[in-house]
This record gives sequence, C-alpha cells and structure tokens, in this order.
Amino acid sequence: MRTLLRFIQKYYNLMLFLLLEAIAVALMVQHSHFQRSKLVGFNRQLSGFLYSRVEGSREYLSLREANEQLMMENLALRNRLDQLSSRVDTSTVISVYEEPFHYYYMPAEVVHNSVYRQYNYMTLDKGKKDGVFKDMGVISDQGLVGIILESSNNFSTVIPIINRDFRLSVKIKSNNYAGILQWEGNNPLYAMVSEIPFHVVIQEGDTIITSGFSSIFPEGIMVGEIESFSLEQGNFYEIRVRLSNDFQSLYRVNIIRNYRQEEQLNLENQSG
Amino acid sequence: MYIIARNIFRFLVVVLFQVLVMDNVMINGYMVPYIYIIFILLMPFETPRWVQLIAGFLLGMGIDLFEHTPGMHTAATVMVAFIRPYLLNLLAPRDGYEPDTYPRIYYYGFLWFLKYALICVLIHHLVLFYLEVFQLKDFFSTLLRVVMSTLLSTSTIVLSQYFVFRK
Repeated sequence: MRTLLRFIQKYYNLMLFLLLEAIAVALMVQHSHFQRSKLVGFNRQLSGFLYSRVEGSREYLSLREANEQLMMENLALRNRLDQLSSRVDTSTVISVYEEPFHYYYMPAEVVHNSVYRQYNYMTLDKGKKDGVFKDMGVISDQGLVGIILESSNNFSTVIPIINRDFRLSVKIKSNNYAGILQWEGNNPLYAMVSEIPFHVVIQEGDTIITSGFSSIFPEGIMVGEIESFSLEQGNFYEIRVRLSNDFQSLYRVNIIRNYRQEEQLNLENQSG
Repeated sequence: MYIIARNIFRFLVVVLFQVLVMDNVMINGYMVPYIYIIFILLMPFETPRWVQLIAGFLLGMGIDLFEHTPGMHTAATVMVAFIRPYLLNLLAPRDGYEPDTYPRIYYYGFLWFLKYALICVLIHHLVLFYLEVFQLKDFFSTLLRVVMSTLLSTSTIVLSQYFVFRK
C-alpha cells in the first residue's frame, strides 16, 4: 500500500497525462457519438451565434460578388421559366394542385465553413424554426453541397462532400450507371467515385449527377465532371471528379425538403 | 490571484481569436496558423505540472468544440503541455530561469524563444495533423502540411511577441 502511494506520488503527472490523452482518444474513436452529445449541441448554438455575427460584417465585403452571382442565377431561372411555360398547358397545372410539391427549396446562407480539414463542416443560418431537420439535402446553384447533420433552433450544420464521412449515390449522366461518391481528404476541388464496373464506357469530361436513389436529393443535380479515371485491381473504376462547387467561396445555398422522404423510407424499411 | 484572472482572460481571448480570425486564414489549402497554443507557451515557469496538463486539456477541448473535431486538438495540446517542462529544462540558460520572469523574447532573447516555440509548435502540429488523417497512406503530403503550417504558426507566434506580449 505504502509503495503504491509512493508510486502514485511520484508519477501522478504522467498518470494525469495518460488519462487526459485517453479521454481525447476515446472522443476521437467514437466521434459520431461526440457529435450528438448535449455539450456539442449547446456549443452549436453558441458558435452559430458568434459565427453569424462575424459573417454579418464580412457580407459587406463581398456584396459585389453576391450581386453578380444573384444576377446570373436570376437570368438562368428566367430562361428556364420561359422554356417551361411554353411546354406547360392548363391540364398539368390542375394536377399540381391535386398533389402538393414533391421537393421544396429553401434559401439559406453559410455562416461558417471549413475546407482544409479532413472532417469539414458547414454552418447554415436556418434551423428547426425554419423547418430544417437532419438528413435534408443542401445544394447551391452550381450543384451538390452536402447533407444536414444536425439542426438547433436557429442554425444547422452540414456534412459537405468534402468530409471523409460523406457518402452518396451518384451516376454518370450519359449512361445512368450509379456509383458511390466520397472524398479522399486531400483537395477540396476533387472527389472520387467508386463502384462503376469496368465494362462501362466513360470519358474525361463526362458529367456526374445525383442518382435520386437516396430520398435526400432529386435526380439530376450537378455534382461535377470526370477529370481522370483508372482501373484499380478488381473490376471497378476509380474516377476522379472535379466538383462543380467551389467550397471555398460558397455563400448562398438552398436546402431541399423532400415531402415524400418519410413515405419512401417507410416503404423501403417494410420491404426489408 | 491577479495572475490567475489574467490567464483566464487570456484563455478566452486566445480561443476566440483562433476560431473567429485565424481559422479564416488559409494559404494554398496547406498552411493553417494554429496559434492558440501560445497560451501554453506563455504560462509562468513555476506553474505546477498538473495545472499545465489540465489547462492544455481545457484549451484543446475549447478549440475542438468550435471546430467540430472530436478530441484531436485536445490530444495535441495535452501532449505539448506534458512535454513543455522537459523542454524548458533542456533549453534553460546556465544559471536557470530568474524569478519574476516569463518565457518571452523580452526576457530570454529571440533565439531562445524561437527554438522554444518552434519545437512546441512542431510537436503540436505533428500530433494534430496525423491524428486528423488517421492513416499513414498520405504520409508525405501530411508531412508537407505539418512543416508549412509549423512555419506559419511559429512566425505568427514570434511576431505576437513584438506586438501583443511585449513584456
């Protein structure tokens, strides 16, 4: 007993060090648990508040760019409206009233964003009060951004494509073959698509879009273009995709709410 | 008492400065200045070792919470807090450290402080970046990021000695 006490007295600094490091490593190992803890939830509100204050002052500096971006978006939408309105006749309008929209788009602003880490997150200025919940999709006018991870009353956090936990089913636009999109952690401009079988003919420059299998995103949202590809050992391509979004300058985004998500998930669960 | 209050105040300022200002600075996507461990670097010489460890733990947790990272900054900062006393012994001048002085350029000179800061920052960044990647696949690209960021962080910390922590 005496020697034990003397041992503790002699080495208590080392033991404290080991204990603290063990706590840190434990947090790291179960990091999805950590993300959901109460403490992090409280902090999400606090940091959301702080970040939105800082962002508010930075908005002034980028007003010109924001204006230009909005103008371009407006133009694109107007063109699209013209194209579509010539196609729609009154009979289809009536059917729209019978069934409320499938997807609903909600504007949001990025108040905090990181791009150079391995696990990047983004904070948006819309939360539960605005009807933003876990597992909704986030896009910008340039294409796919990410998926809502958690939301507090006024803010929500997003897992963007450039987080190593991100995974989504995407497909090649020209031939509809689906693969898995994920990020390798090196460069925020590129991501990888795997599980496309080797017999499929692909080319550099082919467009990658969302597949619509996930119930989070509608089909056909732009993801990026094929930059290069190689055949890994086995029967699948490793495709390097240049992302259409520039995550470093992302500012205005849209959150997608899928009104039929629950129905689809329920059905899929029942079917096993 | 005064020195405790001053250190608590400095703790808050350092954390907020890191997450609100420094996190927005990035060069080439490679270089990130993590300057918050300056709080550990500047603690008085006679601080008990367990206080340094606990302070390192809290500091790392504070940064982790804001950056949504699980425990990586905590692990790296506790490591620096653990190694710092040994490093100070190693770098001690011949007559030891004078009472009523702090580990700053003002008291011990540019070269001494540069060595001290560089080694601490390098240890911190090595632990942090490799934990973040958590694999040896990208060993050399991670090493490049460590070296670049270390240079940037160290020079920022040394500069702060002339503008903020002068005496």
